[in-house]
Amino acid sequence: MSAPVLAVSTLRTYFYTRDGVVKAVDGVSLSLDRGETLGVVGESGCGKSVTALSIMRLVPSASGRIVSGSIRFDGKELLTLDSAAMRAIRGNRISMIFQEPMTSLNPVMPVGNQIAETVALHQHLPPRAALDRAVEMLALVKMPEPRRRAGEYPHQLSGGMRQRVMIAIAMACTPTILIADEPTTALDVTIQAQILDLMLEMKERTGAAVMLITHDLGVIAETAQRVVVMYAGRKVEEAPVKALFARPRHPYTRGLMTSIPRLNRAPDESARAHRLTEIPGVVPSLIDMAEGCTFAPRCPYASEQCRVAFPPEVEAAPGHFVACWNHDALPEMVRA
Amino acid sequence: MTSATATAAVAVAPPARSTFGAFVRRHPTVMIGGALLLVIVLASIAAPWLGTVDPISIDPSHRLRGPSADNWFGTDRFGRDLYSRVIYGGRISLIVGLSVAALATLIGLAIGLVSGYLRAVDAVVMRVMDGMMAIPAIMLAIALIALSKASVLIVIVAVTLPEVPRVVRLVRSIVLTIREQPYIEAATAIGTSVPRIMLRHLLPNALPPLIVQATYICASAVLIEAALSFLGAGTPPEIPSWGNIMAEARPYFQLKPWMVLLPGVFLAVTVLAINLVGDGLRDMLDPRLARRM
Amino acid sequence: MHVFLIRRLLAAVPVIVVVTIFVFALLHLAPGDPAAIIAGDLATAEDVAKIRAKLGLDQPLLIQFFTWIGQLVRGDLGNSIFSAHPVSELIGQRLGPTLSLTLMTLFISVLLAVPLGVIAAWRVGSWIDRAVMGFAVFGFSVPGFVIGYVLIWLFAIELDWLPVQGYTPLSKGVWPWLSNILLPSITLALAYMALIARITRAAMLETLSQDYIRTAHAKGLATEDVLRRHALRNAAIPIVTVIGIGVALLIGGVVVTESVFAIPGLGRLTVDAILRRDYPVIQGIILVFSGAYVVVNLVVDMLYTVLDPRIRY
Repeated sequence: MSAPVLAVSTLRTYFYTRDGVVKAVDGVSLSLDRGETLGVVGESGCGKSVTALSIMRLVPSASGRIVSGSIRFDGKELLTLDSAAMRAIRGNRISMIFQEPMTSLNPVMPVGNQIAETVALHQHLPPRAALDRAVEMLALVKMPEPRRRAGEYPHQLSGGMRQRVMIAIAMACTPTILIADEPTTALDVTIQAQILDLMLEMKERTGAAVMLITHDLGVIAETAQRVVVMYAGRKVEEAPVKALFARPRHPYTRGLMTSIPRLNRAPDESARAHRLTEIPGVVPSLIDMAEGCTFAPRCPYASEQCRVAFPPEVEAAPGHFVACWNHDALPEMVRA
Repeated sequence: MTSATATAAVAVAPPARSTFGAFVRRHPTVMIGGALLLVIVLASIAAPWLGTVDPISIDPSHRLRGPSADNWFGTDRFGRDLYSRVIYGGRISLIVGLSVAALATLIGLAIGLVSGYLRAVDAVVMRVMDGMMAIPAIMLAIALIALSKASVLIVIVAVTLPEVPRVVRLVRSIVLTIREQPYIEAATAIGTSVPRIMLRHLLPNALPPLIVQATYICASAVLIEAALSFLGAGTPPEIPSWGNIMAEARPYFQLKPWMVLLPGVFLAVTVLAINLVGDGLRDMLDPRLARRM
Repeated sequence: MHVFLIRRLLAAVPVIVVVTIFVFALLHLAPGDPAAIIAGDLATAEDVAKIRAKLGLDQPLLIQFFTWIGQLVRGDLGNSIFSAHPVSELIGQRLGPTLSLTLMTLFISVLLAVPLGVIAAWRVGSWIDRAVMGFAVFGFSVPGFVIGYVLIWLFAIELDWLPVQGYTPLSKGVWPWLSNILLPSITLALAYMALIARITRAAMLETLSQDYIRTAHAKGLATEDVLRRHALRNAAIPIVTVIGIGVALLIGGVVVTESVFAIPGLGRLTVDAILRRDYPVIQGIILVFSGAYVVVNLVVDMLYTVLDPRIRY
């Protein structure tokens, strides 16, 4: 088995604010194999975006810092690279696309130029050739009339088209890894499907590995091969996608799964009123967290041990990891 | 042992606003500016008791002396004590500054409120304001002063006029924003009269940026008055003002630079203090303004 | 885009109208008889009547106004009371020095203040930021004529590097012209720079917090490129706006600076005209300066269409 193309080990990224230290990522380890799609799922604020920014070393430096840990890309340690070397990797070997296509493009630069910028920078192409490549990329992302669109400005494009441009920018230099941070959250549902398909197609075409960050389990189910579940800055479960959905082993994951509203019900159930289940309590503040498992205050299965120490990650089944003291004591999940 | 750490309570650091000391540390500029300004204002008021003599009494036998024990800043070309003139000069600057700030703010507020609220008036008023802003402030002031006999009152009026458009624009933009709010619609629907709406709703919202703007206008007015007096078109020469003290000292600059520089330093420090207070007020009242102003 | 420009041109018209009305009213705002004011304290009733007839002041106001507009349109700004020369001629003579001063000031200000503002925003909170902001407060507070004298004292008197005052036209050589125009330009530039640096910093801070800056970094661009190509190009719009508005500040400062440095320009002409109550000259100069301000802002508007594609399309 070949080594993973990306290996994150006990990453800790903290933000130093006036009100205290926000431990946005507190000891997260994950890995990405060549060409695979890894889904990272969790609620807002669980640290998934900060993990992605840490890999790219784009954490806002005003208050944020990667405190400890290691991030190895293709065997090389990223955290000790000098800025020039890191810049050569960004947009080139590891690319990232963001959630808000409406505001992620420079409003005063034609979109073609924004794509051409990356190729010109990393592949040292002259302006003419870079622009041609940009038009090529626009065609690849299924933009109608690519050459004309290349000269247009972001405000002349719709949200879906802008996200296509973002994908074009990210894939222009055929990166080894594409990190997609909630790429479809801000788009209409119909466009969502198109964009996801596009991303998968690009992935097939280039063999890139994709780290897909989302809070939408539906998207995970459709696109990911392996899934990492995060909560309050830590990883709580990791499994192949089918295994995760078949048998979630962490109480939080179970909570997520059961809180998905079900639209198709058996005929005899429709008469009864069906309450939406929710996970009781609220996500804790990341500033002053108590000892022990971060999920314990909201966990229906929490025991004394859970409040003392954060559970270690154990392999509950082949390839299926979970961080829970009581993972094997959880009752069977009722699947409708 | 374990129950004490059960809840994931959010720990909140004690707010740093409660003490005066903390306030000072967070807004050093206001403090410095305010302190300076206070000293200057007090000095101006207390001028007669600060070791000064009559600033307009001449003494031709002692003209153009350098600084000495008798005349701390020296004497001017008429033998008048420069130190006294500079201290008394502060009064004019401050009176003009404060009057202009108050007047411009009041007039601008009135016009801005009406203009923002009544669309028919607005179009005309805004054109007039734009026109006034196209004429450089000093020229406008000079032109007005040229039309009449020199006096401090005329200076105040002449300096106020060019400052009014700025206030009008500020108030108007606030009124325009607030006017669209649902609660204004509601107030109108229940029959609240227009003046009452202006007073109860529009005015309180306009007040914080207005106060900040007034401070800046004060600084600007002090500068313009000094410039006018320097050019000979401001405060009449009998009344000492930093500007005309400097103007009178001009011919002697090369040999006795302090005659020009000393009042200049006082002027600069005063305006600096006012500007610092303005910046500080702006940061205190609404940090968001800091990005727009 | 053309629609935008035409709209801006039309918007400038009422401004010009207001200015002309005001300038015309100037003479008639004075308490008392304008003709008497012009004639002066020592005039006889006959002199006053003569002046009144000559200036057409016995006509109804509206006719006077339109006559005057008619003259303006033909380029006739009237004659100076003091010297009887056409006002336009006087203005023409003094234009050169004022233009030198203003252009040099603009050049220095933008060249220095914009980079300072950019650096202050990029390193917000650092000592550089505080230094730039501190300098801005100073520049805004210390009056031009004070700075002027300090500079003269330091560079001309103590160090004797530059002449104390006066003006040398460019035709007499670059260095002589520069040595005379340098101190006045720096004096005038200080307040203008303070304004521009402040706004540049504010605009950059606003821009740097936008998402597309994050995208630019994610592409692997170097900081200079991010600042220049992405941040500054977006911040340029408010910055250019303020440069245009600041021209009014500049014009005001010109009057004082020319006085301090004895430069024979329009500013000095204004001061002399005030002291002599030479109304046609005052009117002419105000018209010229206001016109310049309107033109500058129209140019700024045109720049918008270049800088901001959202206006173009």
